[in-house]
Amino acid sequence: MERKTFRVIRYATLVLAMLAALALGLFVGGAALGPDDVLQALIHPHAVGDATTIVWSLRLPRVIIAAVVGAALAVSGLLLQGLLRNPLVDPFLTGVSAGAGAAIALAVAAGVAAPFVPALGFAASMATALLVAALARRGSGLDAERLILAGVSLSALFSAIVALALLRLGPDSGNAILAWLAGSLASRGWPDLAWAAPYLGAGLALAALAAPSLNALRLGPNTARAVGVNIARTQWLVLAAATLLAAASVALAGIVGFVGLIVPHLARRVVGTDVRASLIASALLGATVVPLADAMARSIVAPAEVPLGVLLAFVGVPAFLYLYLRPSGGARLWGT
Amino acid sequence: MGHLSLQGVRLRVGGRTLLDDVSLDMLPGELVAVVGPNGAGKTSLLRAIAGFTRPAGGRIMLDGSDIATMRTMQRALAVTLIGSDVETPVGTTVRETIATGRFARRAWWDWSQPDDDDERIVTQALERVGLAEFAERRLETLSSGEKQRAWLALALAQDAQVVLLDEPTSHLDPRAALEVARIMRGIACGTRTAVVVTHDLNEAAAVADRIAVLGDGVLLRFASPQEALAPDVLERAYGISFERIAFDGSIRVIPRGYPTGATLQR
Repeated sequence: MERKTFRVIRYATLVLAMLAALALGLFVGGAALGPDDVLQALIHPHAVGDATTIVWSLRLPRVIIAAVVGAALAVSGLLLQGLLRNPLVDPFLTGVSAGAGAAIALAVAAGVAAPFVPALGFAASMATALLVAALARRGSGLDAERLILAGVSLSALFSAIVALALLRLGPDSGNAILAWLAGSLASRGWPDLAWAAPYLGAGLALAALAAPSLNALRLGPNTARAVGVNIARTQWLVLAAATLLAAASVALAGIVGFVGLIVPHLARRVVGTDVRASLIASALLGATVVPLADAMARSIVAPAEVPLGVLLAFVGVPAFLYLYLRPSGGARLWGT
Repeated sequence: MGHLSLQGVRLRVGGRTLLDDVSLDMLPGELVAVVGPNGAGKTSLLRAIAGFTRPAGGRIMLDGSDIATMRTMQRALAVTLIGSDVETPVGTTVRETIATGRFARRAWWDWSQPDDDDERIVTQALERVGLAEFAERRLETLSSGEKQRAWLALALAQDAQVVLLDEPTSHLDPRAALEVARIMRGIACGTRTAVVVTHDLNEAAAVADRIAVLGDGVLLRFASPQEALAPDVLERAYGISFERIAFDGSIRVIPRGYPTGATLQR
């Protein structure tokens, strides 16, 4: 009973933290709206006025996209860390970010119209992950080491393409690429979310299917196989889920680093290493951290914005290092 | 029920034939020890019986079905392997981990917690290995001997017809090894067959019903401890000579040729 109560309290705390972060995201921003204005706009969605437009067409979609991106990246990282049983893996391991980066750099260079760029990035992400998977294939499954090697190598190649594009293009195009690489939720709205939702939904569904197998995989691949886990199926499921989630996030927000690496660790600290529990906790924590960071990104140098990825790195990395590397009482990287 | 039959099994590893023409029939309830020098193919044989690898030749049949053709979940109900490479998940209780043995009893995507039946079987398994009072402890706080008993509980919770154990007593102190050997003996009963790979010939002589001696790429002998651990068989397997002594109604074997303290200049 006691254990169950604790569990309920933990999840309730995570949900409340997420709701608080989402609320904060609605109340801060470039335009000076008082809390009253925001509340009025929320209560009367059909009222005519600047406040309504700002809240319903700018802030709300942006906050929700931030939450969705955070949850997707955190779950993607958790899945890959669990599959490869490596605490240093992040969602971009399979080249999804580098592939999208190169495609977007080339698209900008070729003068492709801006609305098509995210879709192009998504397609390039998926294509890169497929290529990495093809290189990592062994038998009916995947080889963890080959997957990491292929992902790292292809990422290096695509980063080189981005660097070349940045050097050769004029400052305007270069800035467009850089803004995207630094991760940002600026000018994202409902249509973007509607476009990405099916992929995110599919990714989450596949993640949920893989969770029990990943749980057994904590005993090592051979023991997991002995208790009845189909290793090859688990590998393909996890790769598909992690890629869909990461690619959709990249298309929505550019390269938002740190979340997919660190949030799974925080989640495991809060709820333990059971994959079902840490999957839910990762999603909730990711949906807390990114809206919070985005609120900060919009407010600290308002009306200008700090790129989201930059802010997350500046705030998150020292916090994480403190948590794990402090001389005494540092947490273990793998596990809790 | 638990009738395991190897028929002319050939194992190839890395393009080289490791074992050839291994044929043996194990009876339900039997505890079979597999011994032989390093590299003789003991672990590879276990992995083939577990269905992890397909033999290059011959068949491995359990109650008339070829293990290599079984689907993963079906196979996990028939046979399980506790290797020497079980990893210890951090931040989870002994009970939760042992419940992983029930994986094949439900749909692979099922998120629900273990039901009453599962809980009962896990509790029984923990009781049988003497870890009942450790159920709510964190797994990583267990000693090597306790962990090994936990893995045996995992196999018991899985409740497969054939339990394969790869060096379960290596790295354990004599008392912990004895406790594991007792549990091992208890696993092989009724319709359940156990196959244990071990380097401890005397442990094999003590607990096994029959011993399979591998060496020179073949099955040298599959017989009772008395017959299997014959001097000529052991010499061919290991290339050294052994002294046999009668002990407790069974036999023990001791390698000859150790340098003794007396031969060294002090």
